[in-house]
Amino acid sequence: MKSKSILLLIFLCFFLTNKLYAEQNQLVGADADYGEHLFGECVTCHNSTGLGQGIPKITGMKTSHFITKILAYKTKEKENAVMQMVAERLGEEEINSLALYLSKLK
Amino acid sequence: MTKMKRRTFVGLAAATTTALSMPSIAFGALPRVVVIGGGAGGATAAKYIAKDSKGAIDVTLVEASKRYYTCFFSNLYLGDFRAYGSIGHNYYGLAVNHGVNMVHEWALSVNNAAKKVNLGSGESISYDKLVISPGIDLKFESVNGYSAEAQSKMPHAWKSGTQVQLLKNQVKGMKKGGTFVMVPPPNPYRCPPGPYERVSMIAHQFKKSNPTAKIVILDPKNKFSKQGLFMEGWQKHYPGMIEWISAETHGGIKKINAATMEFETDLDTFKADAASVVPAQRAGRIAMNAGVNNGDWCPIVPASMQAQADENIYVLGDASIAKSMPKSGFSANSQAKVAANHIRGSLTGSKVFTPRFANTCWSLVATNDGIKVGANYKATDEKIDKTSGFISKTGEDSNLRKATYEESIGWYSGITSDMFS
Ligand SMILES: Cc1cc2nc3c(=O)[nH]c(=O)nc-3n(C[C@H](O)[C@H](O)[C@H](O)COP(=O)(O)OP(=O)(O)OC[C@H]3O[C@@H](n4cnc5c(N)ncnc54)[C@H](O)[C@@H]3O)c2cc1C
Repeated sequence: MKSKSILLLIFLCFFLTNKLYAEQNQLVGADADYGEHLFGECVTCHNSTGLGQGIPKITGMKTSHFITKILAYKTKEKENAVMQMVAERLGEEEINSLALYLSKLK
Repeated sequence: MTKMKRRTFVGLAAATTTALSMPSIAFGALPRVVVIGGGAGGATAAKYIAKDSKGAIDVTLVEASKRYYTCFFSNLYLGDFRAYGSIGHNYYGLAVNHGVNMVHEWALSVNNAAKKVNLGSGESISYDKLVISPGIDLKFESVNGYSAEAQSKMPHAWKSGTQVQLLKNQVKGMKKGGTFVMVPPPNPYRCPPGPYERVSMIAHQFKKSNPTAKIVILDPKNKFSKQGLFMEGWQKHYPGMIEWISAETHGGIKKINAATMEFETDLDTFKADAASVVPAQRAGRIAMNAGVNNGDWCPIVPASMQAQADENIYVLGDASIAKSMPKSGFSANSQAKVAANHIRGSLTGSKVFTPRFANTCWSLVATNDGIKVGANYKATDEKIDKTSGFISKTGEDSNLRKATYEESIGWYSGITSDMFS
């Protein structure tokens, strides 16, 4: 019994400390190079130096936050004609690649 | 120490193998890309090739001017929404941040066989791949009576610079209750909504300081970009001030006279107190010189932006036939990224991704009244095909219009930093 709970504890610790790892693992098909390439499309409008005037800053965005927002534009829950159009042609691979790349940007 | 040496040795060996596997590149030398034109297409291409290749490609940008004044937002300068200095940019960031070799000269000719660009100074530069993004030249002769001399009395202001400042002076100095005549260009031309945004900004000036002034648009076309939106805005903000006369109605501009400021059409002869005439356009001369044009514009391979006439030359922006994309700064920037990825792939073997193109054009109709039109595109064998798009709606809420204007300010800051920093 005792060894079982220790095992469980070890497993839990492993799981928690690797939450980040787990989060990145969910990014099916993510490729940071592809993400960097796709990011070129974002910075035509979203200032790459992080200036958020008129258009929100996206550098340094949390992975989960980015994905939630993009999906909200994709389903047209969130308004903005440009972003709905951008999100429309981003598939899972593109969204995850962008998320991975963005998470690596300072 | 031995470990270090070993690593260095391995690295060198790998680099040598890559260099050897690339044909036409001299042993040990870096592959060379020359970009002609440091505008929306060329500056973006130079930056992305240099940035993404991380030193593996030698990039030279040949640009005549040391400072680039954007045509985008030059209309906002006419309407007093921007200072002229705020739309000027230098090439410092490209040189310092990305190692682009800046050559401030005119490219005079291209020797396709020898893969050389000849410069005004008599020097020449060799390339493995050449990018041409020279923007437009004006076909003065397309408007009977218009010329390079007449441009100071009826500025086209279609290539930015002092022409825009001259036009603003003439608008501000126009006599009270006078008539301003605008002659937009025929299709295809740089920035389809541009002439109508210009009219909006001039009307905005007149509303403040010359409210009885009139604006007559003598259009060589029968319809124009964002027409419903502009017409609605003019009615709302400048009632009775602007008259748009289509080609069908005036029957064609037969002749203009810059000395008497007269515009002769079948319908009537219009007398102007100030005017702007934007003639028909063609690709910048260097594209013709390189032999990559077919008539006025340059046919390209949609998936890569390579010239159909020469696979070692890429043509970007206004000079290219990138239909269905409009000739805009946004389009040129988007095309530049596709070309940069393709060039890098062919010179260093890096991954070439499926090309993706996009464009959005914002226009300002009046204070806090912004409108926009945009589309996504993909490459097919024949063209750059529109896959989806949107346009602002008439009768939109004023908060949305204000947000659209603010978005355009964000876009300007985004694209210019993307091009130059
Ligand atoms: C009034 C107006 C408003 C506009 N508004 C917008 C807008 O809101 N949004 C938008 O997206 N677009 C807008 N545009 C369009 C936009 O300016 C152009 O589509 C864009 O600049 C095209 O980029 P390009 O690289 O093809 O050419 P350009 O940006 O014109 O760059 C060409 C460069 O090449 C240089 N050059 C040419 N030949 C040579 C040579 N032989 N040697 C050396 N250098 C050379 C020139 O000096 C120039 O700097 C507007 C245009 C106008 C006129």
